[in-house]
Amino acid sequence: MMSGLRMYGLLFRASIRSRMQYRFNFWFSSVMSAVISIVEFLMLAVILLKFGHIKGWSLAEAGWLYSVLSLSRAIYRTVANDVHNIESYLVSGDLDGLLLRPIPVLTALMSRNVSIRFGEVFQGIAVLVVSMSALIREGQIGWLSIPLTVFVIISGALLLFSVGLLTASAGFWLTRITELQNITEDAARTAVQYPVSIYPRWLQGILVGIIPVGFANYMPGLFVLRGDTGWWMLPLTAGIAAALFTLALFVWRFGISRYQSTGS
Amino acid sequence: MLFYVLSRKTYARNLQYRGAHMVHNIASALFGFIYTSIWTAIAADQPLGEYGSAGIVSYVAFNQCSLWVAAFMTNGLGIEQSVRTGSIALELMRPVHLFYQLMCKEWGQVAYQFVYKFIPIYALYAVVLPMYIPKSLMTWLTTAVALILAGYLSICINYIIGAVALWTTESRWLYWVNHAFSMLLSGFLIPLEWLPEPLAFIARWSFYPFLHYVPTRIYLGMSSPLSLLGSLAWAVILTAICLGLTSLMRRKVEVQGG
Repeated sequence: MMSGLRMYGLLFRASIRSRMQYRFNFWFSSVMSAVISIVEFLMLAVILLKFGHIKGWSLAEAGWLYSVLSLSRAIYRTVANDVHNIESYLVSGDLDGLLLRPIPVLTALMSRNVSIRFGEVFQGIAVLVVSMSALIREGQIGWLSIPLTVFVIISGALLLFSVGLLTASAGFWLTRITELQNITEDAARTAVQYPVSIYPRWLQGILVGIIPVGFANYMPGLFVLRGDTGWWMLPLTAGIAAALFTLALFVWRFGISRYQSTGS
Repeated sequence: MLFYVLSRKTYARNLQYRGAHMVHNIASALFGFIYTSIWTAIAADQPLGEYGSAGIVSYVAFNQCSLWVAAFMTNGLGIEQSVRTGSIALELMRPVHLFYQLMCKEWGQVAYQFVYKFIPIYALYAVVLPMYIPKSLMTWLTTAVALILAGYLSICINYIIGAVALWTTESRWLYWVNHAFSMLLSGFLIPLEWLPEPLAFIARWSFYPFLHYVPTRIYLGMSSPLSLLGSLAWAVILTAICLGLTSLMRRKVEVQGG
């Protein structure tokens, strides 16, 4: 375990060094991705500024939901970028090369093409600070909510990573998974950018029970922001993330044992 | 003739991936469903002006369908890629104008997306959502013209995005920045009259509303077909920019290697 982490750290740094060879491109695309994610948040902000609230969720609360999810995703995509891009390895047969290396395939995959998501991190922290300071000033939440939020973000990152890994593992059987990712990663994540209570029951059920991304922000948010549910919501959140992660690792290992190369 | 041959080839190439595209339609329909849910939730507490709660659902749902005609084009019409492989030099040497040639190909893409994306998603929404369906033939015709013009504007914009790659080698980020601004300023999710002032001002003076806001309002019978004059004006302006850029490109082209 320890040596695995050290190996990952080493490869991670090497990947960053190689990316930094194109320094201008790196910073420019970071700025652009910040612009894009700010514009995306603006859409929600414009609606809430105009109409006040959505199903009882204020702009500050919706901002918290939005930015917590952004930060979780930024962590997931920074530490495991190519898990999301596994399709290109499967289609081209490049995964064979990773199988030959003396480290676990997942470690090798996670440490390739590392992209530090400064843009999303910047947007996430900015929106989070503005939202939380407004909520603290109004006395809706206290200082304790800050460590709780950090906890929710880290647990959410693990959850999103697990959903991504499960989808990626499906690639061992399906090879082409872009369309599946569009549903499990993109659509599901977009859905929980907004308070889950706005959706009809069946969709709420999917977002909490089947692709449980609702636990990345909305469910723990009920407790952290509003004191609804109870303190048990936080261990439950972390427990679901951990359980899904264990399941994802298991399916991944099983998938690799079934892997058939497409050839190159 | 050339138009027909080139566009049919793109159409035929896409047919190979019909199955995958159908799965993708589920995701696309879900996105539209998320957006309509936002408005349904807001409409639960307050009236929504001239749209009303049923109108806004039709508005957003129709926008989600028309994305496939008016917004999702080949990234920079593929120019960026040919800049990187160096094949841009060959493309510019062909006896057909680069803009015309790429535009013809892209119309094949748009036609395919209309048949295999727009229509299935529209049909689904017509069944599951309280979707407004126009009765008059005139409305259908003007909506079709508005969407064709929107598609043309989008082709021009993507040509310009692709052409930037001759100077910067990479223009993928520009595609996404354009996409993000388009979502906000085209009235895709929020009708223009509800945008706060600086944004509404920028939107009114840009081509973005003609991609979604104008066609969808014509579809809903809320705008007169006269607003298409704006689409036409932008089509002329953007065509001029595309042609001007091409003549600059001919002098600028650098081969990156193959």
